[in-house]
Amino acid sequence: MTPSSGPASAAGWKGGPASEALWSLPGRMLDRWRRLRSRRRVRFTSGGVAFTLGTVSVSFAAMNTGNNLLYLLLGAMLGFVAVSGWLSEQAIRGLGVERRHPRSVTVGHDFRIVYDVRNTKRRLPSLAVEISEAGLPQRAFLAHVGPRAHASTRSVNSFVRRGIYPLGKVTLSTGFPFGLFRKERDVDIPGEVVVWPRTDRPVRDPAPGVGRAPRAGVSARGAAGTRGEYRSLRGYRVGDDPRDIHWKSSARLSGPVIREYERDGADTLWVCLDVRGDPGEAAEVAIEVAAALAARSVAQDRAFALLAGDALIEPGQGPGQLERALELLARVDFLPDAPAPVPPISPEACVLVGIGHRAGFGDVLAVGPGARLQPPEAGG
Amino acid sequence: MNLRLLHRRLAVLMSLAGLTAFAGGAGVEPFSAGLAAIALLTALFWHPGPQLSARMERVWLPLATVLVVRALAHVFVIGDDVVIPVVDLLLLLLTAEALRALDAPNDLRLYALSFALVLAATAYRPGIVFLVAFVAYVGLATVALMVGHLRRRAEQHRIREVPLGRGLVVTTASLSGVILLVALIVFVSLPRVSQGWAGRGETAATSIAGFSDQVSIGEHGSTILANPEIVLRVEFPRGPPAEIGGLHWRGRSYDRFDGVRWTRTQALPASMTPEGWTRRWSRETIEQRIFGSPLDTRVLFALHPVLDIDAENGIQPLSDNAGDYTYWGSSAPSYTAYSAAEAPDPAALRSVQGGYTPSRTHFLQLPRRLDPRIPELADSLAAGLDDPYDRVVAVREHLRSFRYTRALPATAAEATLHHFLFERQAGHCEYFSTAMVVLLRSLGIHARNVNGFLGGQWSEFGNYLVVTQNEAHSWVEVWFPEHGWVTFDPTPAGDGSAEVLASWFWPGRILFDGIQHRWNKWVLDFGADDQAGVFSRLFAEDDTGVDTSDRPPAPRPPPWRTLLVIVVIVAGFAWARRGAVSLAPATLVYVQLREACGRAGLGVTPGTTPKALVQRVRSQRSGAGNAAERVVDLYLRARYGRESLGESELREMRAALSTVRRTLKASAP
Repeated sequence: MTPSSGPASAAGWKGGPASEALWSLPGRMLDRWRRLRSRRRVRFTSGGVAFTLGTVSVSFAAMNTGNNLLYLLLGAMLGFVAVSGWLSEQAIRGLGVERRHPRSVTVGHDFRIVYDVRNTKRRLPSLAVEISEAGLPQRAFLAHVGPRAHASTRSVNSFVRRGIYPLGKVTLSTGFPFGLFRKERDVDIPGEVVVWPRTDRPVRDPAPGVGRAPRAGVSARGAAGTRGEYRSLRGYRVGDDPRDIHWKSSARLSGPVIREYERDGADTLWVCLDVRGDPGEAAEVAIEVAAALAARSVAQDRAFALLAGDALIEPGQGPGQLERALELLARVDFLPDAPAPVPPISPEACVLVGIGHRAGFGDVLAVGPGARLQPPEAGG
Repeated sequence: MNLRLLHRRLAVLMSLAGLTAFAGGAGVEPFSAGLAAIALLTALFWHPGPQLSARMERVWLPLATVLVVRALAHVFVIGDDVVIPVVDLLLLLLTAEALRALDAPNDLRLYALSFALVLAATAYRPGIVFLVAFVAYVGLATVALMVGHLRRRAEQHRIREVPLGRGLVVTTASLSGVILLVALIVFVSLPRVSQGWAGRGETAATSIAGFSDQVSIGEHGSTILANPEIVLRVEFPRGPPAEIGGLHWRGRSYDRFDGVRWTRTQALPASMTPEGWTRRWSRETIEQRIFGSPLDTRVLFALHPVLDIDAENGIQPLSDNAGDYTYWGSSAPSYTAYSAAEAPDPAALRSVQGGYTPSRTHFLQLPRRLDPRIPELADSLAAGLDDPYDRVVAVREHLRSFRYTRALPATAAEATLHHFLFERQAGHCEYFSTAMVVLLRSLGIHARNVNGFLGGQWSEFGNYLVVTQNEAHSWVEVWFPEHGWVTFDPTPAGDGSAEVLASWFWPGRILFDGIQHRWNKWVLDFGADDQAGVFSRLFAEDDTGVDTSDRPPAPRPPPWRTLLVIVVIVAGFAWARRGAVSLAPATLVYVQLREACGRAGLGVTPGTTPKALVQRVRSQRSGAGNAAERVVDLYLRARYGRESLGESELREMRAALSTVRRTLKASAP
């Protein structure tokens, strides 16, 4: 029977599940091996390069001269390499790492990551372990973690741009014991940090108009604020004043519930961020202007609302409102073909922030294309 | 102890070990070595402040310049050995670095300079002192490098206190044992592809009397009295012979005697024993692996008759017309000699009835002014004996009736041969052998005087024979056609080296020599043959080829090769397994979820957040969305909510992960 004469042989020709598994076994093993080993990296230090060159030289001299003492010396040097490899492995293995950090940080401010390190080894301590994050220059250092002991350390970094920064791999590295080689091991601890834009950019006071009728059912009056007419109850949000907790409802609903009050809509600052335009420094400056307006409103105990692209933060005030605004501003993207901002109230009552001048709004804080970010002050 | 201080002290101790290693091998100028040692010892306990250190810098620089000029002058002007000036410069730099302020970042320079001293020592053939210093160097370097690394990292991260316990230091120091073990493995296993290293420069030779081209009677006596120095170490790979104290380690023969001195005739006709004759002596051979000390006369000693000599460490054996072996080369001789195991049977010697004789004059030569009583004595001893062998034995036995003494004659008149034979009748070996040769030659029997060593002391520590200069000896070789030169020793038994053996230092000396011998044999002179021997013993299997079918089955040797392969595989697997990361169980399941999604082509990047991951699964593989969300929810609860998940929840996570995997696999294109 030829291979093409029947279904059975055809199946055999293409390879059944068993043979397919057999054929793929080397590939899978190789893949498995690579994945196992990819979590270890060995780098040479400058001392390690010199030591390795010295070892190669001694081996060359030993081979050529037949000098047995050079063979002995070569063996000792290779012994140092072997012990270095083994001890560095011992230093970074058996370590459990937990990362603690604030969920968000402002550009230029210190971002402290605390690492809780647990040494699960029964006898061996871990020494001279450095902990680093991809993309963050400053490392945390642990001089010593005893066997079955905990230790904490921290790194302090700062960000120069707002945005969402993923924190993926934590890299444990050590040059222990001799500083000849640096062995690294990655630990996947997924996470992210939201970097808020700066809020201290000097901005003039905007002067929007009063505006006409509201649209989309949102009233300029009756915005949520503090100490106005009672409006409704809602769930607690970070930054809400604890004095506004409605305890009876909270007890009934098994969760904190907040009283909302109406306030005078004339006091609400509507900030519309026009996200049309190319991403770049001018766009970042526009975002910083919007953030500065929001921060100033909170500082003046004044309500504000923020519209960025199609995302809206309803009128509110207080630190929680500012956090929500900064969170939105941290994530917003400028796009040339983004839709024009359509505020739920009259545009004349809004302050438009964007690149270039746009007509129809009560006030416009236009950022020129040549605007530049100010470098953040060290230490933040 | 302060980390800086500890580190500096360790680095200085490393330097001292390096200095000892070099001094133990090559020797240094005592003045500079002493100064450097004092400076290093000072640096152990005292360190200058930054200001004083800066002032001292101004002293080191001119001194170093002077030494550089001196080294250059040695190379280009004097044309002398440059090593010692360079080592002096190294010692100065080492001293300068050791006496710097504690906060000077000069640890790498200290390491490099001390290593340079150890490296320089390897160019010579250092003794056991090098081994001790080398082991100390490795141990100190292990701890110093570790402490230095911790110090640098702590200073970089501005950490003042590092809890460096005594246990950690001791543990790290013990790792030097691992380093030395690796060194040993590398040393034994790396193939030797070149001839071997004879050592830099001439090996210091021991001066010894009795083996030059001319020997006066009494020279051996002075040697015997004076020197317990070891000259030969002899191993018997096939086992030592029965009477080890009676072995004659033959060195040089002398054919001409003028009444006072024995000399060697320059144009001696070829008079060695034909090789085929010596093969008749015995079917068995004695293999002797001989490690000689370097002597000022380059003679190879071995049991008589020598059948063959294999040199091992670069020396070239040479055989002259007398059949004596000398060598060419500067290193200490190391060679294997093969000799006939037994002397010819007396009956065979008696049956000889003439034949080839190498020379009719050289070995019958007598002094011009020979006392006439000597031939008369010879005749009287041989009276009634026709066979040459019986005559030889008669003369030997007559002399053996004399008394052996190492006391030298008091006057020149007492040092003559006839005074020995007819007046004193006591003396040491040279008188006995000379007298026997002269008596035999008077009878027309071809004979010659031979110098060498007799016996030796068996070293139980090293299983080899130690031959010292005290055992220098003279004896006689008599020519028998069809057998060649046969050894006869007329010297009666004496107390030999009993005094040496009884001395208090001898056991310690033998112990030390055993260590030194092993060092020479297994380190300095370790060659490809030794390597092959080590591995053949390691992997020895029953390959004798002897039919053993009628014997009870012998226990099989351990399958070393198989065991080795298994050990390598297990070690490799353990090494690979260590790559696995220790994660919290919930995190591990989440990471596996990410990996599964990544393999399924869902575009998981490091920046993909947990919720985004769920959205991606839901949008592209809607069937797996709920399960993925469940994994993520539990992960977030455990990871950020600081909840510890129970076993049931972990099982649920794993089940959800399996669901996601199955769904992703089923929907794969």
